[in-house]
Amino acid sequence: MPNSKITAMKTWHKILIIMFILGTIGAALGYKFVYNKPHRDFEKATPDFQITALDLFSAYRNDKKSAELKFNGKVVEIAGLISKVEEADSLTIAVFVMDQGMFGDEGIRCTMLPNHTRAIEALTGSEITIKGFVSGYNDTDVIFEKCSLIK
Amino acid sequence: MKKLIIIFGLLALTVTSYSQRYLTKNGHIKFYSETPVETIEAHNHQVNSVLDTQTGDFVFKVLMKSFEFEKALMEEHFNENYVESDKFPNATFKGKVVNLSDVDFSKDGEYLIKVEGELTIHGVTKKVMEDGTFTVEGGKINGLSVFIIKPADYDIRIPKTVINNIAEEIEVTVNISLEAYGN
Repeated sequence: MPNSKITAMKTWHKILIIMFILGTIGAALGYKFVYNKPHRDFEKATPDFQITALDLFSAYRNDKKSAELKFNGKVVEIAGLISKVEEADSLTIAVFVMDQGMFGDEGIRCTMLPNHTRAIEALTGSEITIKGFVSGYNDTDVIFEKCSLIK
Repeated sequence: MKKLIIIFGLLALTVTSYSQRYLTKNGHIKFYSETPVETIEAHNHQVNSVLDTQTGDFVFKVLMKSFEFEKALMEEHFNENYVESDKFPNATFKGKVVNLSDVDFSKDGEYLIKVEGELTIHGVTKKVMEDGTFTVEGGKINGLSVFIIKPADYDIRIPKTVINNIAEEIEVTVNISLEAYGN
């Protein structure tokens, strides 16, 4: 076999090996950062909006559609008087009661992050600021998830 | 005297009719999809539900963005591509317990129920009829139902690239603890 042909084959081998390695690295990175990408850290997230609890509730109450477009899926920081703290399914929910309706208390319900549950329990009845992810309005309450206590 | 009895009777009626409404705001809905490639599970712990034990009216309100997945990517695909939760933030069920006479809400025990109504997901409304149980215990009603929904019925399109990862039939588990509302 002429020398030039052997060199050409070696080059092809090298290219194939490099492609294989790059492919493996790509797949591993893809797995780690795309398929297994971490959940957003809502405790560290910068709020998209800062608003009083009453103003947020009124926004949904008065114009549901536009409030949904503006706040749903956003990180929002609210300030207001916390009325009660409920426990359900090992979750802690901070409740800002704004009104009474057909189905009892209406307002804002915030599921706390696990490391913020104990602090909130002592604060019933006081003015607090909470940050979390707004999942929407179910015609009685505005629902927050992954909440952390700011102050 | 007769008038007084009637008045008291009416008063008693209003009192009982007040306590016929049971509700929860912390209902739990789980859905589960299993294929040889992947198992997907999601949980929602802020489900609103109201039951009128007098009429059998039964309502659920579910915020799609409250579903939590193990993987962030699944949650993203679920919200953005499948249920389009920006466009359709809520899922609702409005219906009735059709065999209300089989349930004695004043007596502790487990009762099989049949629920019929309209389920709206992804803006598509379908008539559904599912079985479940009510467990009456100390004035509370625990409701449990496991049923199957098909994403295709609700116009939820699964892209070909992940068609092997998501089951055609999704198992939904509804678990609620209803408490009397009103005095």
